[in-house]
Amino acid sequence: MHELGVIIQVVKTIEDFAEKNEITKIDTLVLQIGELSSIIPKYVEACYPAAVDGTLLQDTKLKIELLPGNCRCYNCHKVFNLIQCNKQCPDCGSHDWELLSGREFLIKEIVAC
Amino acid sequence: MKTFKVLEIKESVFEDNNRQADLLRDELKKRKTFLLNLMSSPGSGKTTTVLRTIEALKSDMTIGVMEADIDSDVDAHAVSETGTKVIQLHTGGMCHLDADMTKQGLLGLGTENIDFVILENVGNLVCPAEFDTGASKNAMILSVPEGDDKPLKYPLMFSMVDVLLINKIDVIDYFDFDLEAVKARAQKLNPNIKIIPISARTGEGIDEWADWIRTEVKNWKGQ
Repeated sequence: MHELGVIIQVVKTIEDFAEKNEITKIDTLVLQIGELSSIIPKYVEACYPAAVDGTLLQDTKLKIELLPGNCRCYNCHKVFNLIQCNKQCPDCGSHDWELLSGREFLIKEIVAC
Repeated sequence: MKTFKVLEIKESVFEDNNRQADLLRDELKKRKTFLLNLMSSPGSGKTTTVLRTIEALKSDMTIGVMEADIDSDVDAHAVSETGTKVIQLHTGGMCHLDADMTKQGLLGLGTENIDFVILENVGNLVCPAEFDTGASKNAMILSVPEGDDKPLKYPLMFSMVDVLLINKIDVIDYFDFDLEAVKARAQKLNPNIKIIPISARTGEGIDEWADWIRTEVKNWKGQ
């Protein structure tokens, strides 16, 4: 479980951003989390209230967008979802692929009031 | 009616750590201190390997050790008995170290005149692989009792390290551990990986490991 430490880092980044952009109130924070990253959305939601307590984001809503773990087959160039296809190309059966997305952990945007 | 404004940030949290890690690496390069990030599961023999490494290298260079654990200071005690400069880092429940924590640890340790710092990361094969600590090189230990399927289960860790030490090689006859299979699995993930079978208990393979460190420290210092 490392979500709390990671979210505290996110809060710091947002506070810096808010100060630079003279934002005093944030309605919503939008995070993008890749489905192959080691950050688990459910745990982020669970520890979010503790991480934002007493900060600028105390009353800010959290929204999480999940990014798919997609890859491209080296053999036939088919793009497919790694988890759904069990790490195997659904067209040619190859296990050789290059990862295109899914490990991200991004602060996408904030909705300021 | 309230007006809402959407401000795009598009900042990767991992990238922020990567930036800090790069800054730390640059600083270490300037100070001519080589930092090795040593990772493994709990119980793989990290501390015993660190002790062996110190023994093999202490006449050639000044060594510092940072022991990262969730709790306790037993590892730091064991290392301090060798007379080596050591600091215990408590992560307070965090399962990995990031670049900022590593930097704080280095400040606490003091790197002046230290050639080689070993960062003994938290025993975990998962998240330490995702957070760049700012180390010059990364190494991991896989011990024989853990099994030869670990590269399949923790591919990211095996794909990002420079060296794989296969520890407890002295007891390989008692386990169903296929050394060649591990080598093949690790090399498939990471064609440039250097694999050294060792026994921190008997000292087997430690010479080759120490030689690798000597060369890397020299290269880092630009000698």
